Amino acid sequence: MNGASTAKAQGFRRFWNNDNTVGHVFAAPFIFGFVCFSLIPICMSFYYSFTDYSLGTKSAELIGFKNFIELFQDEVFGKSILKTLQYVVVSVPLKLIFALLVAFILTRKSRMVTLYRSLYYVPSLVGGSIAVALVWKQLFARKGLFNSVLVNMGLNKINWFGDQNLAIYPLILMAVWQFGSSMIIFAAGLKEIPSTYYEAAEIDGASGIQKFFKITLPCLSPIILYNLVMQTISAFMTFTQAFVITGGGPNNGTLLYALNVYNQAFKYNKMGYACAMSWVMLMIMSIITLIIFRTSRFWVFSESET
Amino acid sequence: MKSKKVTKKILYHVLVLILGFFMIYPVLWMISGSFKENAEILRGTLALIPQNLKMSNYATGWRGFGGITFATFFKNSFIITVIATFGTVLSSSLVAYAFSRIRFRGRKIWFTCMLATMMLPGQVIMIPQYLIYYRLGLVPGYVPLILPYFCGQAFFIYQMMQFMQGIPRELDEAAKIDGCSKYKIYSNIVLPLLKPSIVTTIIIQFYWKWDDYMGPLLYLSRPKSYTVSIAIKQFADSASVTDYGAMFAMSTLSLIPVFLIFLFFNRYLVEGIGTSGLKG
Amino acid sequence: MKKRTVSIVMAAAMTAGLLAGHVMPVMAEEQINLRMAWWGSQDRHDKTVAAIELYEELNPNVHIEYEFYSFDDYFTKLKTLVASDEVWDIFQLGGNFPMYLDKIYPLDEFIESGVVDVSKISEANLKTTQETDGTQLGLTNGINTYGIAYDPAMFEEAGAALPTENWTWDDYKAAADKITEELGIFGSSTFLSSDFIAGCSTYIGQQGDLGQYGFFNLDLTGMGFDDPQMLAPFIQMRADMINSGSYPDAGASAEVTNIENDFLVTGEAAMTWVAVNQFPTIYNVCKDMGRTLALATVPRVTADGNSGAMIQSSQMLCVSQDSENKEAAAAFISWFENDIDCNNILQAERGIPANEDVRAALAATATEGQQIMYDYVDMVSGFKVPDEINVLSPSGQDEVQDNYLNYIQQVVAGEITAEEAAEKTYADAAAIFE
Repeated sequence: MNGASTAKAQGFRRFWNNDNTVGHVFAAPFIFGFVCFSLIPICMSFYYSFTDYSLGTKSAELIGFKNFIELFQDEVFGKSILKTLQYVVVSVPLKLIFALLVAFILTRKSRMVTLYRSLYYVPSLVGGSIAVALVWKQLFARKGLFNSVLVNMGLNKINWFGDQNLAIYPLILMAVWQFGSSMIIFAAGLKEIPSTYYEAAEIDGASGIQKFFKITLPCLSPIILYNLVMQTISAFMTFTQAFVITGGGPNNGTLLYALNVYNQAFKYNKMGYACAMSWVMLMIMSIITLIIFRTSRFWVFSESET
Repeated sequence: MKSKKVTKKILYHVLVLILGFFMIYPVLWMISGSFKENAEILRGTLALIPQNLKMSNYATGWRGFGGITFATFFKNSFIITVIATFGTVLSSSLVAYAFSRIRFRGRKIWFTCMLATMMLPGQVIMIPQYLIYYRLGLVPGYVPLILPYFCGQAFFIYQMMQFMQGIPRELDEAAKIDGCSKYKIYSNIVLPLLKPSIVTTIIIQFYWKWDDYMGPLLYLSRPKSYTVSIAIKQFADSASVTDYGAMFAMSTLSLIPVFLIFLFFNRYLVEGIGTSGLKG
Repeated sequence: MKKRTVSIVMAAAMTAGLLAGHVMPVMAEEQINLRMAWWGSQDRHDKTVAAIELYEELNPNVHIEYEFYSFDDYFTKLKTLVASDEVWDIFQLGGNFPMYLDKIYPLDEFIESGVVDVSKISEANLKTTQETDGTQLGLTNGINTYGIAYDPAMFEEAGAALPTENWTWDDYKAAADKITEELGIFGSSTFLSSDFIAGCSTYIGQQGDLGQYGFFNLDLTGMGFDDPQMLAPFIQMRADMINSGSYPDAGASAEVTNIENDFLVTGEAAMTWVAVNQFPTIYNVCKDMGRTLALATVPRVTADGNSGAMIQSSQMLCVSQDSENKEAAAAFISWFENDIDCNNILQAERGIPANEDVRAALAATATEGQQIMYDYVDMVSGFKVPDEINVLSPSGQDEVQDNYLNYIQQVVAGEITAEEAAEKTYADAAAIFE
């Protein structure tokens, strides 16, 4: 009797400490949330992409691949994808380099560092607020700050928001300007690098730059990978800046993909089409993310590699 | 030799400050806008000093709408944000531990699912998601705004995973030999060492939740339950007039809590490098 | 540690309390609960809430649970409510609402039973919120029409001919070019997205005999005109004006965020397009700066042709299909539009009242700018209009509009010709009905 219950308890303990159980116990919050609140909506959006669903009316008729065929003939969609890619490719590296640089400079042991870091973090606390949108418009306006500087330097004015090839740059600059969250994550990563590494390097007579490339960057590489993946995904998802500053214009020159989706779903009431668009982009983003992950094997250094 | 070092130091501070000023200029402009008249804001000057100092923007803004003041909106935002941030830290660290430290079946699939949730724009899953909460009888209410944060947030799960990679596995092994279960390893070893990552999570999540306005817009309906983020939007109406002064005033006030949270937690990220108990 | 536990428990308790607050209290049987929503500004929110409180005082058995949003948010919210069949009992709709038709419970039966009083609302005003078959969808919160606000002093300084009651688009362009040439400012400020209303809906309606053409046909099943080239002259004019600098290009247009910083108000343009309910606002702003604005009609294609003008509803209140208290909702709407005390609180902030008595009561205290607006609306009401109009627009119109504005930019850039832009716009619009 006693032996049986001990065996039972032991069996339970073995089950309870089994990796499969432990894993599921710890992952339970995510699995629960995903199954209950994300899975169905994701499946529904996939289903909708084959229908003519619109939000106002509630009917949704299956129309096969019509949405996808239309997508590939849609000039505006093509343009918005190109603009989005341009936005991602330019803004993400700039933002990360800037964030890493500032995080690195601001790890000195100095009482002022707290203040400085606050200064640099503040832009990230205003997001896409209307006030910032207004300032941004005025900075790049015909008589704005940037143009005054150009004129003072004897150059010609630039019609930032009037030229479909240029209007994307103020948005990119804004993305780079809001580098705060990447910076904070880098700062946390820098703090994690054991100082013994640096001490050892100093004994070996390594210079500052050597230390940065031989210690800081490799130790930080998992965090760099993280920031790269996350910033790439969120850059693809950028909506607010384009929505509040340019509204997608001029001539769709800043029609980022998420804004296009919003327009289709909520302004033009073509939810089915918007869903199809989202799934095409999901594919593109998955491929890019996969490439980043695959190449990361060559440059990410992990302490807990097994 | 010494004076060269001092010059270098001064140069460092001056450069950082100048760049810092440019960084926060638009924010300063917003703050100064909260003391300007509507017409002056709209005239589009980039000057920081108001022509006529107008203090009443704060009173007008704080008055809120239809008898509900911003005190109510701040209270609502605060409750939602604090609980959601707490939930994020708790749930994300659990899930991150599972994904990064435990080899269980389905790990890769769940991880992929997690990344996929970030790649579909909110606009297309918003309505189906709303319908689920609606069918569960949770709308209007705060539950849909809080519950998901207890289910882990992909952005932070992945972040914590990357930080966990920096924690040497030998620590786990040693603890295992001492007879610690995986549960103990999480609470006694991994969690304490994850402090910098948790601090960043708190700072970032607090701001995101504070700033989130699509959630409150969909899931709240009575003005008494509005958050600061939707309340501020009420000043701007594209179809009629916009009171920029009042809006800037309330936007300025709304910055204060997130900034304080940042200041408070930031010190955990500066206190010297490498003193986090990971030495050797 | 203990302290933290306590605070968590407290937080949890507070949430529980808040959540409980959301459960609707059980009502006594005769108690009626209505949900109502609108969009607007702080001013409108305050006034509307005050009016609601007055109504609750007069009708103690009615409780109105209200919500308010900014314009974009309102429609996002409305779409979620449509999806879950819980649209507010009383809700506000603007011009482009065909997609919500299924959610509107028409007022006809309540007008018949006398719950809704329309005795003081003219036939023309009622028509602004009717379907072509006469179904009364709602009652208008205020009527509105378009016009050109301008600064006569600038016209005179430049030696440009002042607008007349039946001036043409050619006159408009000539005046704008002249002003730009003489004063170095924009002759005309940007029409923003209303350039579509000007160049498509209005411009087509102005051609041919009265009621012969419309951009869409009356039952919204197809186009209301056959020759795409009817659109081309306006597009050409617009592109020419942008190229000569008498109309703002895309970059300059983007700087206008609000009627209050329109180039007319900032002194960088001599005229602009307005919905007339915006006129008193800019009139007052300019008055403070020592300028006096005036209001002219929308230019015509030919001086003796159609005005193309229409009295429209700026927005209306409707009863929802999802409502369980439709009659009570309708009764409130009737009071909201007809009661003088109520409208003394509202102060015509939503537009010119449709009810004659209400308008007369408010006109007594009208400001200068409002008086000009009232006179203007009276004048436009006297214009000949087609017997049949459709106040609805098809739900694909927004996309046609956005594309149209982009085509103009492409003509400006020399990528396509005005004729091609006209063809493309026609094709886009026709595609709605495929």
